[in-house]
Amino acid sequence: MSRRNSGAVTTATVILLLVVVVALAFDFTNGFHDTANAMATSIATGALTPRTAVALSAVLNLIGAFLSVEVALTVTNAVVKIQDASGAPRPELLTDGGSGLLLIVLAGLIGGIVWNLLTWLLGLPSSSSHALFGGLIGATVVGLGFGGVNWNGDGSKIDGVVGKVMLPAVMAPLVAGLVAAVGTWLVYRIARGISGPDTNPGFRWGQIGSASLVSLAHGTNDAQKTMGVITLALIASGHWSDTENVPFWVKAVCAVAIALGTYLGGWRIIRTLGKGLVEIAPPQGMSAEGSSAAVILVSSHMGLALSTTHVATGSILGSGVGKPGAEVRWRVAGRMMAAWLITIPAAGLVGALMWVIGDLLGGGTLGAVTITLLLVVATVAMWLRSRREPVNPDNVNDEWDPQSEPGSSGDRSDSPASPTLA
Amino acid sequence: MHTLALELQAIWRILLISLLLGAGLPALFALGIRALALTPEGSDSPASPGARVLGYTCFAVVVLVVLLGIALIVASGFGQKLEFSGGLPSFQPK
Repeated sequence: MSRRNSGAVTTATVILLLVVVVALAFDFTNGFHDTANAMATSIATGALTPRTAVALSAVLNLIGAFLSVEVALTVTNAVVKIQDASGAPRPELLTDGGSGLLLIVLAGLIGGIVWNLLTWLLGLPSSSSHALFGGLIGATVVGLGFGGVNWNGDGSKIDGVVGKVMLPAVMAPLVAGLVAAVGTWLVYRIARGISGPDTNPGFRWGQIGSASLVSLAHGTNDAQKTMGVITLALIASGHWSDTENVPFWVKAVCAVAIALGTYLGGWRIIRTLGKGLVEIAPPQGMSAEGSSAAVILVSSHMGLALSTTHVATGSILGSGVGKPGAEVRWRVAGRMMAAWLITIPAAGLVGALMWVIGDLLGGGTLGAVTITLLLVVATVAMWLRSRREPVNPDNVNDEWDPQSEPGSSGDRSDSPASPTLA
Repeated sequence: MHTLALELQAIWRILLISLLLGAGLPALFALGIRALALTPEGSDSPASPGARVLGYTCFAVVVLVVLLGIALIVASGFGQKLEFSGGLPSFQPK
């Protein structure tokens, strides 16, 4: 570090601070974007009140995040080549005191956040990990060239953008949908002998239990990614050197950020997943979350982690296919799948644009501050836009109006509240 | 395409195990509920002792597997792997 020129170190430190703050903002959006994956079904069926559901999910995410004792620092290696196999930044990217690498990470994070916010505004569930990867890929392509992206690994194992991002995105909803459809069909077949399986309290408990498992798994999987990114930035700027461990404060702030985000709720997405795709009854909710928990845990255990969002959406669709006589709104599902297809290019475009702007402004403090301010402007604009048609715990379960897309109906005060909500 | 072949191989295994756990356990849970809820036609009497044993056994198996699932989450958080040797789970470093 002493060999680095002090001006460059100061620049890197300023950009580092921005990276940490923006990474935590990403972690926060990751939280509220994904609350729906675990809790949309329990909220839709009234097994839990909306506020209880998000509180439970937030606590389990917090616990899950703190359980991440061993954090992999190699999170970006799946898609870009800015780290070596140990998780340390590539030395050739550190010649300027680390600010070159930090600008790529910052621009990538901004791309991920902007896409997360836009899909939230539209009420569309989309994978936060894919948004982050997309942003990083875009920033890397303009920053280091196409060769800086890990498109397909070396072919010896599943790796790269194709192997770890694109193909799993196609497979995950199919696998989860099939599992949930079979599960739902079996549950209704078995429960046919009892009166009113949809009102049986046992299925509500099953639903809450399986949804809790999904929340816990989410906390361990997703908070880790931000922890890895922040630690990478700390190493790049010379503030940390241990590639085996993550500073405790990084774990703590990431855990709190994802839990706070989860508690905020992301009601627009909860509404789409809980009410938009299928009218969910407790036995379906239990089958859907059981399928999600199984697919998430089995896949990450076998080393091919599938996106929680893609799995959860596939499971809910499957629970509609598997229940005799249930209606599935395929048009809503089609919108989601379209969003998944453009997640990588869209987040990538924003990431690339941010890097270019930052680079044109000198690639230093001025550039980094400017693109962070652009993120703030975009965030405020989308938040203000969301206030025009708010979705909140009070109207999240209103009847789904096929004429209006997520959260865009006018006055909801005269529509009957869900009878299952106190 | 090599990656696609590797991917399909992995997905196929994930699908089989997930079907067993993700569809099997909800079905088992439903069986438990049915065993406890079934009463002889037209009577208010509670489920027969045999049905109750069956019902609670179903729930016990479900709870046991869920606990294994939690163990899996905790283990991966500590950089451990859950191995099954001779049917008993044990923690191994990854």
